Amino acid sequence: MKKFLAILVCKLGRAVGRLVGKGSSMPGKFALKICPDILSRVQLPEHIIAVTGSNGKTSTVEMIAAILRAGGKTVVYNEEGSNQIEGVTTLVLTHATLTGRVRADVLLIESDERYAAQSFRYFHPTEFVITNLYRDQLTRNGHPEWVYDAILPALHPETELLLNADDPLSSCFAQGHDKVKWFGLDRCPTDTEAPTGMYHDGAYCPVCHAPMEYDYVHYNHIGAFRCTKCGHRKPATDYTATALDLERGTLTIDGSVTIQLAFRSIYNVYNILAAYAACRECGVASDTAAGVINNYILKNGRMQKFTLGAHHGMLLTSKHENSIAYDTNLRYIRASHAPCTVLVIVDAVSRKYFTSETSWLWDIDFDLLNVPQVERVVLSGRYCNDLAERFSFTGIPREKITVQPDIPAAAAELKANGSEDVYVVTCFSDRDKILSQVVKEA
Amino acid sequence: MELKIVHFYPDLMSLYGSYANVSVLRRYLEALDCTVTVQPVRPGEGADITGADFLFMGAGTERAQRFAAGDFAQYGPAVKSLAEEGCAMLFAGTAMELLGASVTTKDGDTFDGIGLAAFTTVQGKRRIVGDVYGATDLFPEAVVGFMNKCGQIRGVETPLLTGLSLGYGNEAEQGPEGFHWKNVFASELTGPLLVKNPRLLDVIAAAICARRSIPLPEERPSFPYAEAGYAITAEQLKLRAEAK
Repeated sequence: MKKFLAILVCKLGRAVGRLVGKGSSMPGKFALKICPDILSRVQLPEHIIAVTGSNGKTSTVEMIAAILRAGGKTVVYNEEGSNQIEGVTTLVLTHATLTGRVRADVLLIESDERYAAQSFRYFHPTEFVITNLYRDQLTRNGHPEWVYDAILPALHPETELLLNADDPLSSCFAQGHDKVKWFGLDRCPTDTEAPTGMYHDGAYCPVCHAPMEYDYVHYNHIGAFRCTKCGHRKPATDYTATALDLERGTLTIDGSVTIQLAFRSIYNVYNILAAYAACRECGVASDTAAGVINNYILKNGRMQKFTLGAHHGMLLTSKHENSIAYDTNLRYIRASHAPCTVLVIVDAVSRKYFTSETSWLWDIDFDLLNVPQVERVVLSGRYCNDLAERFSFTGIPREKITVQPDIPAAAAELKANGSEDVYVVTCFSDRDKILSQVVKEA
Repeated sequence: MELKIVHFYPDLMSLYGSYANVSVLRRYLEALDCTVTVQPVRPGEGADITGADFLFMGAGTERAQRFAAGDFAQYGPAVKSLAEEGCAMLFAGTAMELLGASVTTKDGDTFDGIGLAAFTTVQGKRRIVGDVYGATDLFPEAVVGFMNKCGQIRGVETPLLTGLSLGYGNEAEQGPEGFHWKNVFASELTGPLLVKNPRLLDVIAAAICARRSIPLPEERPSFPYAEAGYAITAEQLKLRAEAK
């Protein structure tokens, strides 16, 4: 009876919530009050795929859903990204019959890395994708090892883990776990010999703290790592990017499937590979998967083309407090050829909470912008002085840097002068402040 | 004048942009016409730190901190004797805990600090995070920063910050924070606290110069972006503190 009531309340709450435009966690919260173990009382689909990690969750989940649907499977997933237990409860119960059977082949869950253990207390995923673990929103998360310890209790022995073979930290989840499949990238032309960036989280083995060595590095400390002492190293991969040409935008998976990349970032490659691996594990044919991910354009809108006066522009959105995502965007600009101006905006550090914490600026490798085609760098927003102080420790010539606290003024100055390409680097919290000043392109 | 900065474990204890403290201190001392060398110390190296003018260690994860503690033990006597002589040093984030008598981990194990001070740290399963706005006896301006720790520190008799109007101190909400004795400065304020607090940078640079009889100009080196950044953060945090 409690179960029936919880489902009913959740469905009603969701319907009302949709009408008034409210978020998706409240109905689940009510349902959990009525029946705290409701998630163990419902009949879940055959496949439950969870995705967590520091970066790429939303994009990976979106592509998994698209591939599975192309493979003829019905998929239920939290598109609104409410990825704590209340949101997961809403998702499950909204798609359940009143007797508690979830009507889908696959339940797909983007899971907040800190709350995964809570979400999976009453059921466990059949496949658990962990994209990576590195410095991300340290104001909330503490540090990557803290997040590691938070995820660990969420991993049920029967769950098959899909892990990133190139990440020294999240690959540790395989220790003592029987069912593991690996995805990773073989050596690529854009690789470096040693880790890059402002800090070296791959300098020491996460298991024994002995120095680590690398055969090759894809970005930052992600690559073919090898502990000099304990044997922790990049494992052989089950799903492999065997050839990658970011310049031409081609990716070959497992030596047989070649696709075009709609967005030529190494991040996109990992997300595609993780999604491909998860779907193959659910029985989708490689041709079907390839058909979907070929030229796949993400709908989550983290890239936005625009015009500003005579300038063509691109907005590269990433979380402010995520230095590796930031570095990846800067590397994307560095790989461009045409002359450009880069506008960096830090106005609100987070969209979800107030903080004046700007230490993350020092973890970003802004020297990546020290290339001839970057002709000008404009720093804007409330924390433009902190940005300028950070930039004064880069090799970028001073005369290239302008500081303009006011975002509309920075946009107006750009609009009035020149026609070079413009890249805007900022966070979700600040993106609308620039998008309101430009003309968006489809 | 040649000055030597010793930077302990720059790769291991490197969370939250800790290294930037060394960057801004170096720039400040160079503006005073000093030649500055930075000597990185890595685990297992057995470095000679005599003749140092400044010691620094930044924040690390609790596992990195424990590993660092094992190596740092060998430097305990040298660090304590430099401290006695008035050498300036800064231990930021979890590095502060290593100056005390002991650290107890969230799993209940206890390991030794170098015992420069008698305080003890007990780490818990809850993370203490948030902006900090506090006062110090060293200068009239407020100290700003961010806290990100899981340790409660008990037994500090001479804190760096005498009280906070925003944030968590050594062992209590809004309580005293950090540790200060002679020219030893320690704080759980994470990351580049000398970038965020130009006055604290003045104090530390002055301590380094005094020990080596380097005359300070009437007008101290000043970096406009650092000053403007501080002013905005201080204003924002003051508003937050008053709204509480």
